[in-house]
Amino acid sequence: MADGKSETPTEKETPKPKPRPILRLVIFLISQSFLVSVICCTAGVLALLLLPVLAKNTYISENALMPGSASPMISNQEVLDGNKLVEDLTNLNSKYLDGGIESQRIIAKYMSDLGAEVSYHKFHPQSNRFHPLHLFSDPDSRAQENFSCSSYGINTIGIIRAPHGDGKEAIVLATPYNSLKSDLGESFSVGIAFSVFSLLSQVTWLAKDIIWIVADSRYGEYAPVAAWLKDYHVPKFSSLSSGNVEMCHDGKNLYELKGKSITGDFRRAGTMAAALVLKVSDRTEELEDTVSIYAEASNGQMPNLDLINIVYYLAAHHRQGFRVKVERLWSLLDCSLLKVLGTIIEFVGEVARSLNPEWKFGIPATDYVEGTATLASSLYSQALGVPTGPHGAFRDYQVDAITLEFSPKFTSDMKVRHNDFFLRGGRLIEGVIRSVNNLLEKFHQSFFLYLLTSPNKFVSVGVYMIAFALVIAPLPMIAASLYISANNSNSSLKQDKSTLSPYPVADEHSNTVRSWRWLNAAKVVFIIHLWGAVVSLLPYFICQIPDLTSTTSFLIWVLLSVLSLQVLYSILASPFPHANASQPQEGDWALLKSVTISALFIGLGLMSVINFATAEIGALLLVPTCLLARPLRLDLRARSLRSFSRVICNLVLGHIAFPPAAFLVVKGVFSGFGSANVGDFWNWVESLWAWNSATYLYISMVHLPCWVLCIYILIHTC
Amino acid sequence: MEETHQRKKKKVASFWSWVVASIIFRLILIYFPKNLNLAARPEVSTPLTSLRRLAEGFWLKQSSMSPYAGSMYHGSPLLLSLLGPLTVKRIEGQPNHLFFSLLSVIADVCSAMLIRATGKKLQMAYSYSLKSLGLLTQLGSSEILSSGDIAALVYLWNPFTIVTCVGLSTSPIENLAVILCLFGACSRLVPLAAFGWVISTHLSLYPAILIIPVVFLLGYGPDAPPRKLFMKEKYSKNLDESPSEGLMQPKLPIGFSWRPVIYFVFWALLWSVYVLVLCSISLKQYGGLQEMFTSTYGFILTVEDLSPNIGALWYFFAEVFDFFRNFFLIVFHVNILVMILPLAIRLNHRPCFLAFVYIAISSMLKSYPSVGDSALYLGLLGLFVNQLADMQFSFFLFCGYVGVSLLSPVMHNLWIWRGTGNANFYFATATVYACLQVLLSSHYSFPVVA
Repeated sequence: MADGKSETPTEKETPKPKPRPILRLVIFLISQSFLVSVICCTAGVLALLLLPVLAKNTYISENALMPGSASPMISNQEVLDGNKLVEDLTNLNSKYLDGGIESQRIIAKYMSDLGAEVSYHKFHPQSNRFHPLHLFSDPDSRAQENFSCSSYGINTIGIIRAPHGDGKEAIVLATPYNSLKSDLGESFSVGIAFSVFSLLSQVTWLAKDIIWIVADSRYGEYAPVAAWLKDYHVPKFSSLSSGNVEMCHDGKNLYELKGKSITGDFRRAGTMAAALVLKVSDRTEELEDTVSIYAEASNGQMPNLDLINIVYYLAAHHRQGFRVKVERLWSLLDCSLLKVLGTIIEFVGEVARSLNPEWKFGIPATDYVEGTATLASSLYSQALGVPTGPHGAFRDYQVDAITLEFSPKFTSDMKVRHNDFFLRGGRLIEGVIRSVNNLLEKFHQSFFLYLLTSPNKFVSVGVYMIAFALVIAPLPMIAASLYISANNSNSSLKQDKSTLSPYPVADEHSNTVRSWRWLNAAKVVFIIHLWGAVVSLLPYFICQIPDLTSTTSFLIWVLLSVLSLQVLYSILASPFPHANASQPQEGDWALLKSVTISALFIGLGLMSVINFATAEIGALLLVPTCLLARPLRLDLRARSLRSFSRVICNLVLGHIAFPPAAFLVVKGVFSGFGSANVGDFWNWVESLWAWNSATYLYISMVHLPCWVLCIYILIHTC
Repeated sequence: MEETHQRKKKKVASFWSWVVASIIFRLILIYFPKNLNLAARPEVSTPLTSLRRLAEGFWLKQSSMSPYAGSMYHGSPLLLSLLGPLTVKRIEGQPNHLFFSLLSVIADVCSAMLIRATGKKLQMAYSYSLKSLGLLTQLGSSEILSSGDIAALVYLWNPFTIVTCVGLSTSPIENLAVILCLFGACSRLVPLAAFGWVISTHLSLYPAILIIPVVFLLGYGPDAPPRKLFMKEKYSKNLDESPSEGLMQPKLPIGFSWRPVIYFVFWALLWSVYVLVLCSISLKQYGGLQEMFTSTYGFILTVEDLSPNIGALWYFFAEVFDFFRNFFLIVFHVNILVMILPLAIRLNHRPCFLAFVYIAISSMLKSYPSVGDSALYLGLLGLFVNQLADMQFSFFLFCGYVGVSLLSPVMHNLWIWRGTGNANFYFATATVYACLQVLLSSHYSFPVVA
């Protein structure tokens, strides 16, 4: 500035005024950035390991739910009806080979006998094709695909209108049922659902409509529910879009199905308050009857915690005799390291309690190990971003949904146990529906952002974010300290020259250039991130090539990526004109690192909002890699123990942080290194984009570019 | 000499290639309007600037109803007659609003060219005043690009500008009017400056405060070092009393000249009467000017629409009790007005910079801000890039802007589509954005003011 310039020499003589306390704190942190970052990262990892200890017991936060306040009404009569339906279905399966239409007709008849409105919904399975721009648009605006008439499925939907309701709200029950090849478990789930449904058709307390959808699961369990939800929420007005489903049905089949009260029209009943997906598994290795809860929807979204709480509360406290389970990583249960940690924590807890009985933070070692296994599974399935069941489809329409999978302990031929199992399962579901029926508003009281460590323990967002924040806290500090030091070292160089230069304004000008020098580094970072976007789009084109094995596809992908990196870099990376004049400077790599770290910070911060689990795992991998990155040449020149160990760390981290390498290492650890090959990575990535997972975007647009930049810094010549 | 000439030529060529590249980039983006879905983003189109609302207003007018019926359209009736037909015209197989998109591309390029011309004028004035202070060095030759070129490229390649240009909003046209006003004032084309000021005020009301920098520009001339420096120089020269320098001593900037200012007032009156007459003709059958004022300026001033945007007012007025509403309306609007006078006194020797500060402040505190407003003041900031030495915080601010502009759609998605967040999430990004703007404007105006 011209006005400021005349005063600068005088300012240098006068002592600098003391900055404000907050600024002093910031300056102190930046000057101690190495120590602070080591402490923060360690604390972050420790906090993550302590999460099972910090987990709180769940509680029902919405008062209106009142679970278990009424005694269950389901009686043997309904159970017998359900059993009869199961028998009919199993008989049918043995009789006809092509029992597809027939079984649906039976279910529809049973429904309409209860006085429900029954309709069929015909759908075509959406092929899970990768379309790059779909990731950004909301599900409603997606273009219609062309269907072939050969493959379609039929959902059967029954609706009970609530006697006290106004038809504006509904509760959904969904049972996947493969009419072509049904096993006993699916028949059982239909049977239980029917028992509940027949009870609900008689009760007077119903205030929300009940929708029961028997989803035709011949194309997977997710697709029929998703197709039905899409048609439910996006009404089709033009004949063009809806036509292709209805137009091509072969006249005979569907019309045969339609009876007096059964139509092919699409029937609706208000907004959905909650949805329950019922499944009965055939596995009988359990020692007692259990209910497994699956809750993870796409991109790590969870249903409201209250919904899980009701199920747990009813199953645990009302003696339905079910043990409630959530998924856990079994391989972690035998992990000796965790056991040691658990023992330490137990010991510390005991010591603390002996000092002051008020302090209760220790948990038994076995609990700790189990909690960690559950937490790890919860983190893993959230990080994948792939829903763990048909309930995932509901979450896309802001409907809270969970899958309940019953695992009976009986073998299938014991009739008496059947009835008992039906009765208890029916009671549980009735209780849940009755609670949801009491709800006055949407689920909003309890948490949406949480991790489960056991069915009745959770870690809320406020706690687990601390672990994440501690891990990424060093990033801005290191970035700032690198930026400042790079600028200062430069200005000290300039200082010597400027004493010689007679033109103060020229110095002023170089000053301006210096303060914008980070733009060069920013450009490199931008180009690499742009390349990341290109890499994320490449599979779209690779998929068009027919007949490729996954390994060759992966190799083509890698090849094209490297090629595009070369092309992009040669086109865009020509440095700005003024940079030609100045030779590559000492601080260049520091500036580049500073900008890289800032980009990583922004990327991880964004991802933690979209999908926390991905961000946490990514941060654990990338933060040390980025923080330690330093040109290898500098370290080798220094020849000290510290620099040597840093080189080793850099090399190891540089290999592990590469996404395919990380994937193969994880896969190798869990299922043996013999079976792992690079094609698996392609398949895994394919599943990610098929489910529109944000993790895919994270890997290709944050993780991969940052890794490349780290490698670039490592091999930087200076 | 030959070499410098060649280098200059090369610079000009690279400048134009970047301009052409930016146009091509926009044209490519125009072909994906559905997939990008930018027109529906609250950051891009506000109730005042959304083209969808304009199309609705045009449709209402076509079916001989008042365009302001139903509180859909809140823009000027002139825009309705100029842009309305473009919203209806369609080519088969092409994006829906192709013509309007092309128009906004043209508006962006025009704005960039005007910024460049303004930059050249400022540069000339600056080196002239340095010469008169005897501080001239080889400033011109050592530069990378002239500040005007930088500002134009910053404006053209700013993602905010690109997003507003592609996102079907009328902000490019409003920005063009503001820049036209500044350019006219810098190059002393009084009718043009008055036209720009009247049109921009008519379109979005807030540029009305630009009358102060425009008057200074016309009265004192473009940005220069403070006048007391010149006085000091003169004084020292008088002491030296060397005759050879006395001969070379250029003319000092004279005091405030009233003539162009009076011209400006006259032209501004003329243009505003003209605009009002046109408006009243176009609204003759409906409510007349009364209705126009209540549903454009009234709509801006009373903050009727509380749909979320990147400003802070929607959240505040959604929360505030009704009987305090008027009080806080006054407080918020006075907030802008309070800052006008002190800044005008302190910065009267730098009218263009004053205009930048005013635009930044009003885009921070206006009732329906969009990223198009930030695009405008960030472009103007480029004009002072060579003079604002040592922008220490530039990197920090850059990261902040990148972070906020990525975080804001994510938070919006979390609130509206996923339902796991709430309004506070989105408002948090709006707060951070406001803080960044405060930091930017205060940080860059501090060395000038202090």
